[in-house]
Amino acid sequence: MTPSNGSSGDAMWIVLPLASDVALGESDFGKLTLHLSDGVEPEEVAILDCFDGTLRKAGLLLLHSGEQLQLMGPSGGVLEEPGGRDVGFVVNLPDSELKAALSVVSPLRRLIPIGAAWRQIRTLTVLDDEGKTRARAQLTVVTTEKGGCVIARLQGLRGYDKALAQLRKALMDLGGVSLQEADLHGILFPGQTVHDPKPQVTIGYEEPAIEVATHIMAAYIPVARANEAGVIADLDTEFLHDYRIALRKIRSVISLFKGVYGPEGARELKHRFSALMAQTGRLRDLDVYLLDRQETSALVPPSVRRGLDRMFDLFEAERGREHKRLAQYLKTKAYEAEIGALAKLLAKPRKLGQGPNAQRPAHDYAADLIWKRYRKICKIASGIGPDTDDEQVHELRIHCKKLRYLLEFFGPVFPKKAFKTILKPLKRLQDNLGYFNDYSVQQDSLRAFLDDLEGPHQIEIAQSVGALIAVLHGRQLEERSKVMDSFARFDSDETRALFRRLFRERKDTE
Amino acid sequence: MKIIACYSNKGGVGKTATSVNLAYAFAQAGHRVLLCDLDPQGASSFYFRVKPSKKLTDTRFFADVERFTKAIRGSDYDNLDILPANMSYRNFDIFLSRMRNSRSRLKKALKAVKGDYDVIVLDCPPNISTLSENVFRSSDVIVTPVIPTTLSQRTFEQLVAFFREHDLPLKKMHAFFSMVQGRKSLHADLMAQLSRDYKKRFLTAHIPFSTDVERMGLARAPVMATAPKCKASKAYHALFEELTERMR
Repeated sequence: MTPSNGSSGDAMWIVLPLASDVALGESDFGKLTLHLSDGVEPEEVAILDCFDGTLRKAGLLLLHSGEQLQLMGPSGGVLEEPGGRDVGFVVNLPDSELKAALSVVSPLRRLIPIGAAWRQIRTLTVLDDEGKTRARAQLTVVTTEKGGCVIARLQGLRGYDKALAQLRKALMDLGGVSLQEADLHGILFPGQTVHDPKPQVTIGYEEPAIEVATHIMAAYIPVARANEAGVIADLDTEFLHDYRIALRKIRSVISLFKGVYGPEGARELKHRFSALMAQTGRLRDLDVYLLDRQETSALVPPSVRRGLDRMFDLFEAERGREHKRLAQYLKTKAYEAEIGALAKLLAKPRKLGQGPNAQRPAHDYAADLIWKRYRKICKIASGIGPDTDDEQVHELRIHCKKLRYLLEFFGPVFPKKAFKTILKPLKRLQDNLGYFNDYSVQQDSLRAFLDDLEGPHQIEIAQSVGALIAVLHGRQLEERSKVMDSFARFDSDETRALFRRLFRERKDTE
Repeated sequence: MKIIACYSNKGGVGKTATSVNLAYAFAQAGHRVLLCDLDPQGASSFYFRVKPSKKLTDTRFFADVERFTKAIRGSDYDNLDILPANMSYRNFDIFLSRMRNSRSRLKKALKAVKGDYDVIVLDCPPNISTLSENVFRSSDVIVTPVIPTTLSQRTFEQLVAFFREHDLPLKKMHAFFSMVQGRKSLHADLMAQLSRDYKKRFLTAHIPFSTDVERMGLARAPVMATAPKCKASKAYHALFEELTERMR
């Protein structure tokens, strides 16, 4: 008789303290009797999550043994033979309920082991005097070095609701909580934190600008560093992406917080962070091309896809070399020394010197920066018509990006609700400008690729790339035509009034 | 949805063992199965350890959707539910036609509790009556166990005659040899003769006489669940597969 992992009935999950399975024997079930199957030897499993802790945040626990994935969650279940030791990406799993339940995980993120555990599965059955099962639960005993719990999956049988309620009550009386309320990762790995790519930096209203700038930069260095190992191991492309975002944030602080540091110090800092960024640029470009491989191929007619395939194969090979180079670089003593020195410098920034704005209070300083940037954006946008040079659109994009960074950095000293109202149309405008820019940059890089093209199949590749450039050009024009509209939507009376009130008149009240 | 009636106009031919194991086999294959225990002795329910419900003796029962759905009991096995015995079946054909009608209140009530069924197996009482006639009309398949003895041969012929008299489609009837004893030459002779006389009616799969099946009364579980590798279990599996093939 095999215990059912059942499709029948809705599953109910209860999380219990360790050893509850033993304590169950004491529970009173009246005329019914409890039967607990002997546990087989505990088996070693890995707990999987992606680096940003998506599963943990969603309250899901994913266990992996060589042959099997087991998901604890509202619509959990078991997937046999997920395909070897490395589960990899959710998209590559065979279609199943389990895969559907894992759809919270970004398709770009790899599932990686975040800790080891031991698992023991026991079956709890509630029997009547005829030996008929009236309710049952699968008990998964999960233990780690630092903690453990019993996860019960209750299963009712049709027509025996009372027994199920009785079992549920007995488990709750033993200190059970529902799966939704239980912090499984916290119980199994106490003290383990999830990587946060966007650390919240608290800023005082009157805090000197130089301190704000230094705090923000100092907070992003650990973010960058946390991603190094994933970049080196090439787990997924998000590690490098997040690494770059962290460095870029730091660099933008240097350039946006004008007059905060001494001019020498600021220049040097910017130069050193740019040097770190430069190491990663090509690999990120290649990642983006290759991630979009299928979509890009679909843009051109099938007759010329072969050339694109060849191009992507060249990119793939180059990516391999580029990754090897970057991984080696990140492992050098020189890199270690440089990023260590930068972290030290930001911890004690006296060497950077002070500029005229160093001691300005945060709120006042921020309002000034944001207002100036906003005025600049309005000025550029007002000059953009259907025939304006593309350069102006690029300018607009860059200023919008800078405004967005400023708003994000200084968010904590402004009213939340008002910021939301501003950010929403700004994001839309940025999306539009972003696409415009992407299409334009892609064309440039494809042309550069063609210029440097050597070796076999040149003509075939050139024809395909030519076709792709034509399509991208069309798309760019399409995005270009939307810019004026997007800006008009951003430039509403409400936004204008908000900008004026928050940053010009500096009134915080709504 | 398919309705499979397990019927024999002679008792003690292994009808209940067939209903129980067929229902189990369909459920194991992933179908949602409801086994209706129509035999007043309630042997199917007994095999699944389900207690007969006292509330179900009322004839009004089948008109009352809620009472019906509440009477269904989950077995110890996935996908397999039991409608226990001890009912009165005067309106059983109404029940079956409601099961067929996707817009009936009965069907909707079942769907509401995620309890709709793909297969209904009926363990029928062993007499020819108005009930059986209605069941024959409503079912897709009538599975009839026949022990290869002269007495069973006679009752089988009577059943065929009954079908003809009442203009029932003989095509629905799928007979098979039950409790076959390989060493008895009489069994072999009769099997050959019956298979010849009723060519398309007999399935090739047959169930051997088996102490494992007899022991089902002690184990109170389908033999396919307790001894899946024994001869009888394999035979039931072959029967299930052949039947599935014919139902296609």
